[in-house]
Order: sequence, then C-alpha cells, then structure tokens
Amino acid sequence: MKFWHNVYKVIARELRLMRQRPVYLLASVAVMAFCSVFFLTFLGDGIPQDLAIGIVDNDDSSVSREFIRQLDATQLGKTVRFGSYTQAREALQTGRINAFCVLPENMYDDLLSYRQPTVTFYVNSLYFVGGALAYKDVLTMVNLTSGAVQREFLRARGMDEASIMGQIQPIVIDSHQIGNTTTNYGVYLTNVLLPGVLEMIIILVTVYSLGAELKYGTSRHLLEKAGGSMLAAMAGKLIPYTLLFTFLGISCDLLLYHWMHFPMAGSVWNIFAVTFVYVLSCEAVAVFLIGTLPVLRDAISVSAIYSVLGFSLAGFTFPVEAMPPYVQGLAALFPLRHYYLFYVQEAYFASGFSGWYMQVVYMLLFMFLPFTVYRRLYRAYSLQNYPKK
Amino acid sequence: MKRITYIGQWFSDWYSIFVNELRLIFSDSGALIIFFLAGLAYPVIYNLIYMNGTVDDMPIAVVDKASCAESREFTHKLDATREVRVAYRCTDMGEAEKLLQERKVNGIVMFPEDFGERLAAMEQAAVSTYADMSSFLYYKNLLMAANHVMLDQMHEIQTGRYASAGFTGQEISQMVHPIRYKENIPYNRAFSYGIFFLSAALMIVIQQTMFYGSSLLAGTMREENRSFAVMPDKLKGRGISRTVLGRGAAYWLIYMAIGAYIAALVPRIFGLPQNGRFGDIFILLVFYVSACVLFSFTFSTLIRRRETVFVLFLFMSPVCLFLTGFSWPTESFPMFWKLFSYIFPSTFAAQAFIDMNTAGADLPMVRDQIMALTIQIVVYYLLSCLAVYIENRMLRRRAYIAQS
Repeated sequence: MKFWHNVYKVIARELRLMRQRPVYLLASVAVMAFCSVFFLTFLGDGIPQDLAIGIVDNDDSSVSREFIRQLDATQLGKTVRFGSYTQAREALQTGRINAFCVLPENMYDDLLSYRQPTVTFYVNSLYFVGGALAYKDVLTMVNLTSGAVQREFLRARGMDEASIMGQIQPIVIDSHQIGNTTTNYGVYLTNVLLPGVLEMIIILVTVYSLGAELKYGTSRHLLEKAGGSMLAAMAGKLIPYTLLFTFLGISCDLLLYHWMHFPMAGSVWNIFAVTFVYVLSCEAVAVFLIGTLPVLRDAISVSAIYSVLGFSLAGFTFPVEAMPPYVQGLAALFPLRHYYLFYVQEAYFASGFSGWYMQVVYMLLFMFLPFTVYRRLYRAYSLQNYPKK
Repeated sequence: MKRITYIGQWFSDWYSIFVNELRLIFSDSGALIIFFLAGLAYPVIYNLIYMNGTVDDMPIAVVDKASCAESREFTHKLDATREVRVAYRCTDMGEAEKLLQERKVNGIVMFPEDFGERLAAMEQAAVSTYADMSSFLYYKNLLMAANHVMLDQMHEIQTGRYASAGFTGQEISQMVHPIRYKENIPYNRAFSYGIFFLSAALMIVIQQTMFYGSSLLAGTMREENRSFAVMPDKLKGRGISRTVLGRGAAYWLIYMAIGAYIAALVPRIFGLPQNGRFGDIFILLVFYVSACVLFSFTFSTLIRRRETVFVLFLFMSPVCLFLTGFSWPTESFPMFWKLFSYIFPSTFAAQAFIDMNTAGADLPMVRDQIMALTIQIVVYYLLSCLAVYIENRMLRRRAYIAQS
C-alpha cells in the first residue's frame, strides 16, 4: 500500500515535470505527428507516376512516333525529347531523366525490309525506385513493339488473333504480390519507418528523462518522493511514459490500418498487443543505456547512434540475410528488427500467434536488461557520483 | 591609415574568435564523439552493412503442376539466374505458401496444369509468380529473374515454331527479333543497394553530425550563460560578421578534413565507384561544408540546452535522407515537400555528389546544385548574423536589467 502511494507521488512529480518542460511532449507527440504526416504524404502516391524518360529519335517516322506515344501512355513514363545523344546522356548523368532510348536512323525502313534495327537504351540505376521502374517500363515497351511488328507479319499471313497472341507472347507472367498487392512503396516503407521513429522517440525520451535527474542533480529528490524505494521511483517515472508511448504506438497503428486502410491480413488487435510489448522492450533498452552510462550527455549520444542504426539493421530495405555474417547477429539487438518480423507474419501472412510468438519472446528478453544495471543506476541516483557536465 | 587598422583589427578579432572556438570544440568530449567518432565511424559501419549490395540467389519455391519439358526448362533457367535459386520444389501451393510464411523462401513460381498443353496448342500459357513483399528487393529479384527467363523462353519457343513451319535461320531471327535492343546500365550495373544508399548517406552524415555537434556546443554555452552569440566585450556590440565567420571557420576547417575523408577516402577504401575528378568533388565540398556550417548556426539558435538537440531533432536524419530523392524520385515529391527539401544543404549536395562521384558528371553539369548551395550560404549567413544580433540584444537587455 505504501509502495503504491510512493509510486503515485513520483507519477505526480513526473507529470509536473512534463508540464513544465515542453521538450518531453515536443519530442514525442510532435515528432511522431510530424513523421506520420511526412511519410504518409511524401510517399502518398504509392507508385511514382510520370517518370521522365528521354528519347533521342533519330528516325522521326510513324513507327518511332508510335513508340514514343505508347511509352507516354504508360502510367509510369513521361517522355522527354532530346536532340542528340550527348544532351540525353548529360540529362541522365545529372539525374534529370531516369532512362533514355535511342531510336536509330532508318528504323522504319529497316523494319520494313527486315534489317532488324537496334534500339539502344540507357538506365540511370543510381536512383532506386525511379531507375528500376524506368528500366522495367522501357524493356516492356521495346518487347511490345517487337511483338507489334510480328503481329502485322502474322496478320498478313492470315493467322487468327488468338493464335497470334499465342505466337507473339507464348508465355505471360501473372504476378502476385503477397502482403502488398498494389506494389505500394508507401505502404511498404511507412509500416516499418513509423515504428522505427517510435523506437527512436522512446529511447531518446526515456534516456533523457532518467538522465536529466542526474544532470540537474534532482535524483535524490526523486528517491525521497519515492520513499527511498528505487523500484517505486522507476515505476513512477516510467508508468507515465509507457502510457504515452503506448498511446502513440496504438494511434499510429490505428492511423495506418484503420484510417489509411493499409493492408492487414491478420488482426489489428494482435498489432495493438505487440505494440505494447514493443514499447516495453524499447524502454528496457533505454534504461539499460542510461544505467550503463549514467552521464546524460554520453548516454544520449550513444542512444542517438544506436537508434539511427536500428533503421538499417531492421532489414526491411536491404535484407539482413544479404549482410555480412558478423553484421547479421547485430540486427537481433534492435527491438525494431523483431517488430518488423512480427509485422510481416501478422500483416502479410496472418499467421497468428504460432507464427510470431518467438519475436515476442525476443522482445520480452530485452526486459531483463534493466535488471543488470538496476543497482548501478540506484547508486548513481543516490550518490550522484558521476560527472554532470 | 584608419582603413588599414580596421582591416587589421578585423583579422585579429577574427583570428582570436577562431582559435577560441577550436579550443572549445577540442575540450568538449561530447562534440568530439559526434564529430570524430560518429563522423568517421558511421560511413564505415554503413559500408559494412551494405557491403554486398545485392541479394543474390534468393531462395524460391517452384510448384510445377504441369511437369512438362517447358516448365522444367523454365525452372532450370530460373535457377541459373543471379537473382534467384530454386531451393524447394513443392507439389502444391499450400506447401509453398507454408515455406514462404516460414521465411524459407522469398518467392513462389507456379506452373498451372495446362501450361504445357496450352503451349502445344499455340495458345498463351501463364506462369504465376508470388513475391514476398516484405522487402522490395525480394520483389525486384523475382520479377527480374522471371521476366528475363520468360523473354528468353519466349524467343526460343518462337524460334522452334518458325523452324517447324519451314523458315530458315535468317528469316527466323528477323521475325523473332524484328527490333533488336541493347541495354546499357552504366554506373550501377547490378542495381546494388549499397551504391544507392551510401552515396546519399555519406552526404547526410556530414550535415547531420555537424548540426548535432555544433548544436551540442551551442546548447552547452547557453546553459552556462555564455551564449554562442556573445561577442568579445571589446567589440562593443559590433563585429557580428567577425563572430560568425570566426566561429564558422573552426567548424569549416574540421569538416573539410572529415568531408574529404567521407567523400574521397571512404569510397576508395570500400571500392565504391569513383568516377568524378577529385578536384570537382573538393569544390563541391567547399560549397557544401560552408552551407552546412551556416545552416547549423542558424538552426542551433533553437537549442537551449545541451542534450535536447538529439531528443528534438534526431528524427530529421531519416527525413533528410528521403528528401535527397535517393529512393523516392524527386519528380514524384509532393510540392510542399519539394520546397521543404530546399531548406537542407544535403538535398543539393547529395544529388551533386551522386552525379559526379558515381555518374561521372563534371562541375559545370551540377551548376544548378552549386548555385542552390550558394544561395543557401548567403541566406543562412544573413540569418545566422541576424540570430547573433537578436540574441545579443536580448542578453544585453537581461544584463542591463540584472544590473539595475
């Protein structure tokens, strides 16, 4: 009873601190709001449209114009005409266009007389999405044009339309995308980036809040409020933040899966539950960091370096299994990695508990971290024997 | 005579501010950690993470319900591509989906029962691919491999059919390939993720570590009531430019060294493409580092305490990275974010760096970016002078109030 009374007093003290110093709410609520708006609007289109693709038309015939018209008609491409190869190459080198095609002189005449003209295309592979999509678009278009020529030839020989299709394109690929049927780049990135931002916020704000007691020498006052109990002090300090971060995490889940209707094969309730575990595991990392380095400025620098690396090592952009072996192990040290693996199971495969329980176990393992530094942090709080500046 | 004294005085003030700032930087372990540890180590860590760059031989499962010569050949050719490897052959989709869910494979290729029959009947046959969308690289690999094999197989089938219809070699080639094509993918042949990511990330590291480090120092000074903006007393409130330029020169000097390491040495060590001339890259660095110093000065005005810069602004690092357009193409940016991206020197510097270092563009070709950086230098110089001026007035008023 006494314990909970002490916890209550610490919570009241913490809420007062949060009111007095706007940094806590700015760094959590405002940052999360900004990032949600940023990523959802920035990648809002899902698939880029009207990528600039250059054309050097040395033929200027009905065939070459038809080729350009077709390329323009694709959702992805928007053609830009260049007078010469040099101009187009310069535009490619400076990233103004994603690819360009050179249509050869006499293309039309060569086609008519079966001299097999050669279309040359160049792709700028330095800009990830634009390059890859422009490559696909141009490749498809060249093959379609080839097909169209064959179709004319076969028609002239009196073949019926169904057989013509069977001949000019005997095999078609019927592609399915599991978990993201529309190939929406925004869905793919935002679903992991926002939890990543949450991890960053949790670690920084928690480290800051626990470290500020040391820096401003208020840790003894804190312990006093907690009736000398470190457990009550930690519980009182962390409960308001746990509620705040869980609120942020679940709002973010609601935003993505309820409001934006991002694909969710499984149950959103599972996502809510694991978001809570995820918040706890990130807080555990934060307590471990400040406990290991009970000097605010060192702990915050290390936290910053750690949480930025979390994005890369989650492995959602570049898969972890393609990283060097000694880096692969490091990935397991980030709660975001486990959240991502859980999210894929739930949102893509709806595998339920049996598919992802191990990820939750890993996240819960992080909860042991604070106990390893518990005494160290208590001594730092009560003795204040670390440098403040 | 008076004029010479003024210039002499200016330089002597400038020099003492410059030396004092260097002393401050080198006596602050936090700033040193950010400048030297983060600035030097991040590029190395990222290079290690993205060293392989591509996902090769990604495991896929094949469900061959047709079990005909064509489907077996298709499977063999898939296995031979660099992108994928056929790790499992399954009898039904359920089995393959289970493998996908267990992450043992990252894609499925399925041949329906009628695949061979349709081909024999000269009808269009479909092959279904199922891509694991949890990473776009999985999707890209499966798509590229399946498309290339499909085109190859298609031409083979066409050739066979024309041959059996009695056409000769030359005629067949003319009909199967009425148009030939030659693809050139310079700069990044294999679509290596490492090259995309690192080129932009290296420039971001310069801007962000400088911003965090200098804000850390600015915050410390404000905590100790010796503001960043405080000018030596003997200047009597004049000499804003001396203060800004003197302090700036200290960061500039340190970051030209770190920048040369990041932009020239790191790509050399890790075998990234280096198609630009060193001189051109160095000139870009001169503009970029100058813009970053003044950018950091302007925005560090917002930092009142030492550690808050991380708590409040760390999220800007991934945001700035996306704003360079390395991933999502610049032309697809919503207008608001396009304008927003102009705030950051990294937007222009990363584009110029990618164009020069990887695509081999020369300095005149990136003139737009250099021009934008020049505008930023002028604007942020004026803004940081203004910030110093305002903060000084506020400080002096406070001192005056405290005195009276």
